[in-house]
Amino acid sequence: MTSLLSVEHLRVEIPTRRGTLLAVDDLSFDVAEGEVLGMVGETGAGKSLTGNAIIGLLDPPARIAAGRIGLRGRRIDDLPAEAMRHLRGKEIGAVFQDPLTSLNPLLTVGRHLTQTILTHLDMSPSQARARALKMLTEVGIPAARERLDSYPHQLSGGMRQRVVLALAFACDPTLVVADEPTTALDVSVQAQVIELLKRMCREHGTAVLLITHDMGVIADTADRIAVMYAGRLVEIGPTRSVLNAASHPYTQGLMASIPSMRRRGVALAQIEGSMPRLDAMPAGCAFHPRCPVKVERCTRERPDLAPAGASDVACWLSSTTATEDQVRHGG
Amino acid sequence: MGMLVLNRLSQTVLVVLVAALVSFTLIRYVGDPVNNMVGQSATLADRAAMRQQLGLDDPVLVQFARFLNDAAHGDLGISYRYAQQVSALLKERLPATLELSVCAMLIAVLLGVPLGVWTALHRGSVVSQVLLAGSLMGIALPTFVIGIIFILIFSVWLGWLPAFGRGAVVDIGGGWTTGLLTASGIKALILPSLTLGLFQMTLIMRLVRAEMLEVMRTDFIKFARARGLANVIVNYDHALRNTLVPVITIIGLQFGNIFAFSIIVETVFQWPGLGLLVIQAIQFSDVPLLAAYLVLIALCFALINLAVDLLYSAIDPRVRRGGAAGPKTA
Amino acid sequence: MSEEVAAPRWRDSDLVHDFVHSPVAIVSVAVTLILLVVGAGASFVAPYDVINPAVANVIDARLPPGAEGLAGQHYWLGTDPQGRDMLSAIIFGLRMSLLVGLSSVALAAVVGIALGLVSGYFGGLADAVIMRIADVQLSFPAILIALMIDGITRTLMNRDLHERLAIPVLIFAISASFWVQYARVVRGIVLVERGKEYVLAAKVTGVATPRIIASHLLPNALGPVLVIATINLALAILTESTLSFLGVGVPPTQPSLGSLIRIGNEFLFSGNWWISMIPAAVLVLLSLAVNLVGDWLRDALNPKLSTA
Repeated sequence: MTSLLSVEHLRVEIPTRRGTLLAVDDLSFDVAEGEVLGMVGETGAGKSLTGNAIIGLLDPPARIAAGRIGLRGRRIDDLPAEAMRHLRGKEIGAVFQDPLTSLNPLLTVGRHLTQTILTHLDMSPSQARARALKMLTEVGIPAARERLDSYPHQLSGGMRQRVVLALAFACDPTLVVADEPTTALDVSVQAQVIELLKRMCREHGTAVLLITHDMGVIADTADRIAVMYAGRLVEIGPTRSVLNAASHPYTQGLMASIPSMRRRGVALAQIEGSMPRLDAMPAGCAFHPRCPVKVERCTRERPDLAPAGASDVACWLSSTTATEDQVRHGG
Repeated sequence: MGMLVLNRLSQTVLVVLVAALVSFTLIRYVGDPVNNMVGQSATLADRAAMRQQLGLDDPVLVQFARFLNDAAHGDLGISYRYAQQVSALLKERLPATLELSVCAMLIAVLLGVPLGVWTALHRGSVVSQVLLAGSLMGIALPTFVIGIIFILIFSVWLGWLPAFGRGAVVDIGGGWTTGLLTASGIKALILPSLTLGLFQMTLIMRLVRAEMLEVMRTDFIKFARARGLANVIVNYDHALRNTLVPVITIIGLQFGNIFAFSIIVETVFQWPGLGLLVIQAIQFSDVPLLAAYLVLIALCFALINLAVDLLYSAIDPRVRRGGAAGPKTA
Repeated sequence: MSEEVAAPRWRDSDLVHDFVHSPVAIVSVAVTLILLVVGAGASFVAPYDVINPAVANVIDARLPPGAEGLAGQHYWLGTDPQGRDMLSAIIFGLRMSLLVGLSSVALAAVVGIALGLVSGYFGGLADAVIMRIADVQLSFPAILIALMIDGITRTLMNRDLHERLAIPVLIFAISASFWVQYARVVRGIVLVERGKEYVLAAKVTGVATPRIIASHLLPNALGPVLVIATINLALAILTESTLSFLGVGVPPTQPSLGSLIRIGNEFLFSGNWWISMIPAAVLVLLSLAVNLVGDWLRDALNPKLSTA
């Protein structure tokens, strides 16, 4: 399977007055052409930082300290600013959380679109406007021609996010990084926007890195799921496997805590404790203080990603190597 | 938006009325107008006749109404000190002050805005730090000290520019005199307008910088970068545009400040404008003049506020086409 | 593994940490304190008495800095046209500036806080009227308000009365433009606190609401009020010297940095630069120091800028 995006051993550090914090620690994963990879985790797990690092817009003082990011084999994390700028918007699109603050209140919707189109594609202003109109229609905005001259505050939240999607897909990117695209929307609108995102991906053949903490959205949309915890990747695999047969204790805890119609009358399960702060990381596996099945090894050594069924898992107890270990030592 | 304008309009009228009331009270009750008009040898009968003639025996409300009426028709009384029509005096001195204020404002804006943008975009550079430190001096230095330092350097030591007066002025009709058409007039204008404009310039520079830094941190700027737009477009078409909208209204309000500080500058440079007139009016207790000036500035400031509100609603689409946002009050 | 968290000591607070690490803050606070002490102790610090006109020696007029007087007096900073020692005049002038500045800020704070409390607590018509006046007043610069009030009171009093009341009138005139900011801040805090649940709870249990609000008000308001007061102080000092320079501030018999500068202005062309430049330098130093303290205080107390 050809890999569109490859992230290898990514390390994002944040220097602060009280020391350097490690926000993303040795992260590696791939995104294939046209696939939807969902990245889930609690707030502060490092998902957004990963997204920002990929598009090269880490807010200083955060910076990439080590690792390699490649797009179709070409290294992009160390590109000069001007070269990266050409990639952004054209090869890699982005969608952010709040559609109201994502758009400039003083510019019309049409201006947003034509400006983006003219920056990356070689065409005349009238051709750009025609393309803008086409994009608006594609994302399902009614009376698109009039809407070109509307200002963002004149549109509803759902419509604004559609405009944002139009902007992300305007120049036919190969990858879109979507950071919490539905979190700021009404529940009723969320489903529509997700449907739209899926449709755009299918029709344009675009891959998506869908970053969110909403499991419901992921279940519906993603081909594969990557689970982040405290800046580390703990499990990654096909959606069915991760949802129904999670291997990592954290993922299991996450799945169990989702309220379900089928388990009525049962108390909501909770994972005890909370994610460790970046300046107070435990030794060994980051999850071990909260883990119900930890063993002594978990407190000393950090587990690497290893295969466990259809997924890859970072846990001494769940991966096949661990099972072999137990068999050998009778543990 | 109509509500806003109506609101501001009613406020304007109220302010001017209050100022007029204070003026009227001053003129009517401070000292004895009759004493100021007739000589010491006048008899009681003469004084009584004078009182009748001046309408000083009528009810207060009637007198106030008459006062307002006179004022609206340009009759603002007669100055005690100059023995001239106050309105004539004001008219004579207005061009000088206006010319000075406009020049100062131009200097402040044409230098302040670009410098503010530059220091925001090149944060942390040595030049930025120097400019910022310098701007702090501009705020801490009182205007009259700046003026005196300029005089010391450019008039006393270098002898390049005059320290007093307006130079040769040309009457361009309607009683309006200008110094811009003569070499000496222009030379005389330089130091005063620089002095007056410097403080405003530093204020504008810091304001533009702060506002621009705020704008650069917004989501829509981040999204603009995420779309790969060129730096020039992000910095100017997006960031600067959003910066200028609130800044322009504050700059408009600053015009009032310039008008106020012109009093100081006119005193330092003996510039024959309204400011100098007012200082002398205070020193000599020239009540009619003072009272008229009070109404004049109330009117000026109220009008400036109104104009700024209208301007804001014209340039911010959120206000123009109905939305929650409105102009930030100073 | 649980950690014990000791109660935070004020020495460890962010504010003190900021202060100790900011050379600008340390220097400006130090300078301000020095000037404050010098000004307050003017009668003891100044070598010569400049208020008593009998002491002035006209023969020693306009001597340059470091000169010796006729009777052997040593003039560190020279003399003015009346033969008064510049150093002493400046020190007394400093005292005057600080007196007027601190008094007007105090007056403005008291009035402003009181009006803010009334406005926030009683609401309704009182609130509307007070805020309306505040709005209008904000659009006028301080110098103009002070000038107008001073001018009007002058015309209302005869010369003698004005001479005696000049300084209180000046303090009142300057403070008239400052009260608005205090009122707004306090009003805002009262409005926020009023809506909080502990106030509703207090009402239910019968505890007097004003007392509750007052106990929560003080710590919340202290920071912003302090910042406003410091920045106001700088402006008040500048306004006093500007008015004195214009001739409508402190009466001519009293020393003031502003009037010294005005007197010196006439002698610039004669080469006696020290009569206006040295008081100007002291004025600028004071204003800069207070401004810097105010700026630093504002940044240090601003929760948005903390880099925790």
